Amino acid sequence: MSVEVRVPELGDSKGVTVLEVLVKQGAQIHVDDPLITLESEKASMDVPSPVSGVIESVAIKKGDAATAGTLIATVNADAQAAAPASAPRTPSAASASAPAGALDLVVLGAGPGGYTAAFRAADLGVKVTLIERWPVLGGVCLNVGCIPSKALLHAAKVIEDAEDMAANGIVFGPPQIDRDRLRAWKSRVVAKLTNGLSVLAKQRKVDVVRGEAKFVGPYTLQVQTPEGSRRLDFKQCIIAAGSESTRLPGFPDDSRVIDSSGALELPVDCQRLLVIGGGIIGLEMACVYDALGVKVTVVELSDALMPGTDRDLVRPLQKRIEKRYQRILLKTKVAALEARSDGLRATFEGPDAPGPEDFDRVLVAVGRSANGNAIDAAAAGVAVDKRGIIAVDKQRRTNVPHIFAIGDIAGAPMLAHKATHEAKVAAEVAAGQKSAFDARAIPSVAYTDPEIAWVGVNETEAKARGLEYGKGLFPWAASGRSLSINRDEGFTKILFDKETHRIIGAGIVGTNAGELIAELGLAIEMGADAADVALTIHAHPTLSETVAFAAEAFEGTLTDLYQPKR
Amino acid sequence: MATPIEVLVPDIGGFKDVSVIEVLVKDGQQIDKESPLITLETEKATMDVPAPAAGRIAQVKLKRGDKVSEGSLILMLEADAGAKTESAAPKPASIPAAQAAPTAPTAASKPASSPEPSAAVAASAPAATTAEIDEQAFSRAYASPSVRKFARELGADLGRIKGTGNKGRITQDDVKALVKGILSTPAAPVSALPKVPVVDFAQFGPVEIKPLSRIQKISGTRLQASWINLPHVTQHDEADITDLEAARTALKTKASQEGVRLTPLAFIIKASILALQEFPRFNASLDASGENLVLKKYFNIGFAADTPNGLVVPVIPNANYLNLYGIAHALADFSEKARAGKLKAAEMQGGSFTISSLGGIGGTAFTPIINAPEVAILGVSKSSLKPVFEKGAFVPRLMLPLSLSYDHRVIDGAEAARFVVFLSKTLSDVKALL
Repeated sequence: MSVEVRVPELGDSKGVTVLEVLVKQGAQIHVDDPLITLESEKASMDVPSPVSGVIESVAIKKGDAATAGTLIATVNADAQAAAPASAPRTPSAASASAPAGALDLVVLGAGPGGYTAAFRAADLGVKVTLIERWPVLGGVCLNVGCIPSKALLHAAKVIEDAEDMAANGIVFGPPQIDRDRLRAWKSRVVAKLTNGLSVLAKQRKVDVVRGEAKFVGPYTLQVQTPEGSRRLDFKQCIIAAGSESTRLPGFPDDSRVIDSSGALELPVDCQRLLVIGGGIIGLEMACVYDALGVKVTVVELSDALMPGTDRDLVRPLQKRIEKRYQRILLKTKVAALEARSDGLRATFEGPDAPGPEDFDRVLVAVGRSANGNAIDAAAAGVAVDKRGIIAVDKQRRTNVPHIFAIGDIAGAPMLAHKATHEAKVAAEVAAGQKSAFDARAIPSVAYTDPEIAWVGVNETEAKARGLEYGKGLFPWAASGRSLSINRDEGFTKILFDKETHRIIGAGIVGTNAGELIAELGLAIEMGADAADVALTIHAHPTLSETVAFAAEAFEGTLTDLYQPKR
Repeated sequence: MATPIEVLVPDIGGFKDVSVIEVLVKDGQQIDKESPLITLETEKATMDVPAPAAGRIAQVKLKRGDKVSEGSLILMLEADAGAKTESAAPKPASIPAAQAAPTAPTAASKPASSPEPSAAVAASAPAATTAEIDEQAFSRAYASPSVRKFARELGADLGRIKGTGNKGRITQDDVKALVKGILSTPAAPVSALPKVPVVDFAQFGPVEIKPLSRIQKISGTRLQASWINLPHVTQHDEADITDLEAARTALKTKASQEGVRLTPLAFIIKASILALQEFPRFNASLDASGENLVLKKYFNIGFAADTPNGLVVPVIPNANYLNLYGIAHALADFSEKARAGKLKAAEMQGGSFTISSLGGIGGTAFTPIINAPEVAILGVSKSSLKPVFEKGAFVPRLMLPLSLSYDHRVIDGAEAARFVVFLSKTLSDVKALL
């Protein structure tokens, strides 16, 4: 039976506009399913379906003006359904709140941000549903990011350390590398962690839904699960849907053009690798492949590796890899990439560009794009910018107060440890606590060899902002510990507020820089000054001493180096 | 291109810190003169602020949720050449220049009452919006993460705290001290009204949560403020309106020629004005000190109108200058506007006496709540034929129940009785009203 569904009596509102059409032709609907969202000058409201059935045609579209009686759609109503076709019930003013039976909290995405938010909220007594599109929890970080890459970087370090000792009396001979076994080990590391996550989710009674979700309304997600499409209503939602590798337009659609996930798969036939993008991700993967004996070329569009990072921090890395890699091309772009049967032929463009060259794989590592548009966040009224990023406030609320966004999707820096801390804030706020994201510094680490790490204000930024800062620097060539691990290129640099002597930022390059930076993060958060760090006794001989030495260098109390009086 | 001019919030009837509920334009947008720029929401109404000139928006300077007052910067406008640009702060379209009306902002009237600022209403008012936190200062405060978290829990602004720790570090105790200091300042005495028990109704059966409308929320607070602060007494009487009803029926044709429907309420308003003129204390308010009576020389009559969104009280200004048809016209106009949600703030301000008529529905008597700071309100119930003993016999007369609630601080019981007797006599004597 065909039923015309019209806009019901709207109270005193005239000239309302259709904000959203929530159904499509052919959609199966039930009584009270929202058909369209109207917005008057006073409020937005959903118009519920008076009948169950299948939408025959939709007569209205987004942006249309509507008044009482405007035809919305014709519905082929289910036979048994009572169909008071004429006047659908007036939408209650309360329809601007979550529908009855809505889930308390839905977390969208199970990466480090998502699972942390879900677990924290569950620990606070909130009933949580966690939606993840992949079969395993953990997101990019655990599955195809931080963790597997660190496993491979460890392997690279073992190889290089062995090599480095050859000159000092320990000669192993060339390593035999079985990429398949290496890959399997990496996968076991990942599996251990992701399985652990599933257990943690079960222990907390977090309901995990597998499927790809998109918003269809301010309180509703449609989830494509392996068992079919499913509608989830929620009262609150935390979006933690992450980011994906930015693709370069115009490149051939070829399986040999890979992103970081593809690079972690360690293809056995890759002997020549082109890395496009001299940022952290590109250089970490370059490091792995170089250690495995692959000839690596790195192309960077700007005039420096790791743009934005202090040049002095990058220099030791650059010196080392310039010697090891086939080529590092700055101010260069890949103008064309041609897929040939025997390789990918890259044509370079730039002042120092060489002629065309062939590669077995091309790793595109030019950044990551937030997934704000992939989940149709706009359908919930959440503002998404051109780059797919969702803006949030101190409490990680979006412009829609019951929807939060955390992690990569909420913008730079796209780091797991930023996501996890935002996750706790959002989960606590969703549970009714008054938390805010008040971190003053977020550390960054490049797990290259040597490692580069920094936290707080870096020197480039301090200069650009005209800050009155002082600097304490300790070169590792004077560190007994550094020399004893056969490395001397690193240094520790701390920036201080000239007036208060409080630490405002720090950068470290050298072995284990990523571990050492933690102390300085704590120092910044605690408002520690140079004397606080310098007078804290650090164990000898450790690399951590270099942090205290850098503070002493600023204080003028350093004895391990001779500094002429300032 | 002209240099951008500042477009400021115009005179909005004395309101301060009004919320911007909508920003209707964007940077770079071309706009016409008078096109709406932003929508403001006062306690009484929403209003659009129109563009003072045509041109291109250079930069919008405020956002949704901001609080503005007269003179706040809205945006920078590159006015089209030739457009008059000197008046950057135009009158808003929705508030006619009726500022001449002697409406002291504090004496504004609305659904129930506008509590005097000095009155101890803090206890009944919903929790004040959490004090604004200066985020810039907060992010620079010399405090560790744990202290920052503690400050967030209490909503304390770290930027306002002078630390007592080493080198001025803010300690947890400093945060506590700030909050204690605020709590112990002699604020409005927190009168301990006994609380209504909170019940989880869902345990007894299915329930549905439906938020109060905006108007209900506003009027609720005001009604409660009036109920708590004003000692109410209600005086009941009946007026014989048999003759009035006859006259009204006789005048129906004439009225329809005038294009109005002559309702009993028009007569009641007319009679009330005569009563107010006779008893000026009923057309008055207490001043802020509570020691002086402000006698009003104008007769602005509010009437409670039932709308889909809730109760509103439009005010017929200077109703004493209107004849019956004029009053009937005003009633029709305002009722229509009220139902359409189109009443402007100014049209609900400045009342001196209010009438709440439920005569069209039913009832024999009720106790209306005074629209404070007014001092009296007339409730009208449904008229009915009753036997009245007259000249030795019972005769059927049409009787109209009247219920006058008054503020006993201002009006004595005898005076109220006299007022109501006068009023019912006036209603019985229809000639006085024509």
